[in-house]
Amino acid sequence: MHISIFGIAKRNLKRKFFRSVAIALSVAVVAGTLFSITTVMESVELSIMRGTARLGADVMVVPSDAELKARAALLAGDVATFYMPSGVMDSVRRSKGVAAVSPQIFIESATFDCCDIADLRLIGFDPATDFTITPWLKERLNRELASNEILVGHEVARETGQRMKFYGNSFTVAGKLESTGMRFIDNSVFMPMQSARRMISESATKSKKPLAIAEDRISAVLVQVDPAYQPAQAAIYIENAIKGVKSVVSEEVISSVRKQLFVLLKSILMVSVVLWIMALLMIGVIFSMIVNERQREIGLLRAMGARRNTVFGLIMLEAAALSALGGVVGIAAGGVLLFSFKNLIRASLHIPYLWPEPSRFALLIAVSLALAFLTGIAAALYPAARSSRMEPFEAIRKGD
Amino acid sequence: MIEIKGITKTYRAGSEIFKAVDNVSLSIGKGELMSIVGHSGSGKTTLLSLIGGLTRPDSGTVVIGGTDLWSISDDELSAFRNRRINFVFQFASLIPTLTALENVMLPTAFGKWDGNVAAKAEELLGMVGLGDKINNYPSQLSGGQQRRVAIARAFINDPEIVLADEPTGDLDEETEADIFQLFHRFNSEKGVTFIIVTHNKELAAKTRRQVRMVHGVMGES
Repeated sequence: MHISIFGIAKRNLKRKFFRSVAIALSVAVVAGTLFSITTVMESVELSIMRGTARLGADVMVVPSDAELKARAALLAGDVATFYMPSGVMDSVRRSKGVAAVSPQIFIESATFDCCDIADLRLIGFDPATDFTITPWLKERLNRELASNEILVGHEVARETGQRMKFYGNSFTVAGKLESTGMRFIDNSVFMPMQSARRMISESATKSKKPLAIAEDRISAVLVQVDPAYQPAQAAIYIENAIKGVKSVVSEEVISSVRKQLFVLLKSILMVSVVLWIMALLMIGVIFSMIVNERQREIGLLRAMGARRNTVFGLIMLEAAALSALGGVVGIAAGGVLLFSFKNLIRASLHIPYLWPEPSRFALLIAVSLALAFLTGIAAALYPAARSSRMEPFEAIRKGD
Repeated sequence: MIEIKGITKTYRAGSEIFKAVDNVSLSIGKGELMSIVGHSGSGKTTLLSLIGGLTRPDSGTVVIGGTDLWSISDDELSAFRNRRINFVFQFASLIPTLTALENVMLPTAFGKWDGNVAAKAEELLGMVGLGDKINNYPSQLSGGQQRRVAIARAFINDPEIVLADEPTGDLDEETEADIFQLFHRFNSEKGVTFIIVTHNKELAAKTRRQVRMVHGVMGES
């Protein structure tokens, strides 16, 4: 049996249990807040990147009165429909700075007995020109979709091989896209334009809720911009050349999200900084109290041969243990809350949301843990140094 | 063995400067059993802490076994205390979170020690009559028992010098006699030097040499 500094520190922490818990909790709040904020930021950033990569389009051309709806659809996944003449596509193709175009038609799945699932966005794409879904098809299925086949977004409650009915037409799920965090894609069903047209025309006879969309209508023209041009430039050229359309630049949508997030982050960050300073001060004051309370004990330890570094180390060890514990608890609690309320977060922020990659997640945990650890260490540094500098006799006398 | 030359220690109380120890010189041989007597506030405890290297004198030197305590580094002084000196304080000097056994073993946490320290601590507790209380925490011991644990702790590191400040203050006469007998035994068998601060004249009379402190100034009794 031996007695060690670790053992003494452990007993000291147990001695004032509630005080130890209070210190650990204050660190937990700081660590949990920081971890949660940064994780949400990372998640949003990642899902926007992944979503726009899946979209594959630099610009989305929509009817001028549908610009806000289109932005809301891209950002928050609102299911909205709007239409314009298909001839717009040729005009867009001829516009300066445009490299490739592809039309899409948006149809909203409805309730009644027409559709298996309501409030989904059914997107008809043109396999001949598409650059959104076709690359995925080539890579994963290595074939085109048959006329009765569909692809579903990650959030659609159907798996590959299952069947779905929309407006009286039955489709087989040929594949399920990976999660992007963008509801515009995750909550959509993709089908070839021809299948969409057939579904529209047959809805009058096969469905109790017929679709009234003319044959020459499309919802949007997706544009890939010539690398020699900026997407924003190409968007201006399109709007100047074609009346009655608006060009939604993907980058601008992302940038507006980033601006929104920045404002949000800034305010939460301010709260976090205040919390951190408060935690630092509180822990500093508590450790000053601890050192004052234990002055005689510290003097005794020094009289028995404890070096200054040993006394310093003892106080720091206690601070480090509480900080580490608080950090782990805070990060775990933050993680559990983020996971439990991910839908609420997504709904209240109106932005895409996706868990970060494991490596990135590990980095966030490590950084948050390091900050938590440093909080306790920094707060206890001065009291620990002060206690170790005291003369043994002085410490014993003052502790009387 | 212990050479104290012209040590002075002053304290400031507001604008007043108070000399707790005033130009004291003292020579103590190896294996002496001596007492320092005097009234409260006469500077006995301050002198003891100066001898033990617990506080730095304003002037003068304390040399123990050829080592000038204040010419070595703080770490070296700590190691010196840990190896060669031990203390019995006048107050309850136990760590409340440690058992009686752990309190006795405490000095060994600050250095490297060979052998079975726990067995030695247990033996020392037996010597002070607390063999059946080794796992008790200080709160489970009476004031006198706590004092006896502190006395047992004073011998765990086989010190050359034990500096005891009112070591039997809380003890009944019988226990006081037992403890004093223990001091004599360590003194005669192991050659431990004892410097005991006390205002108990009877206790002081049992030591071979007495010195008196009056207002910080020393005189042989």
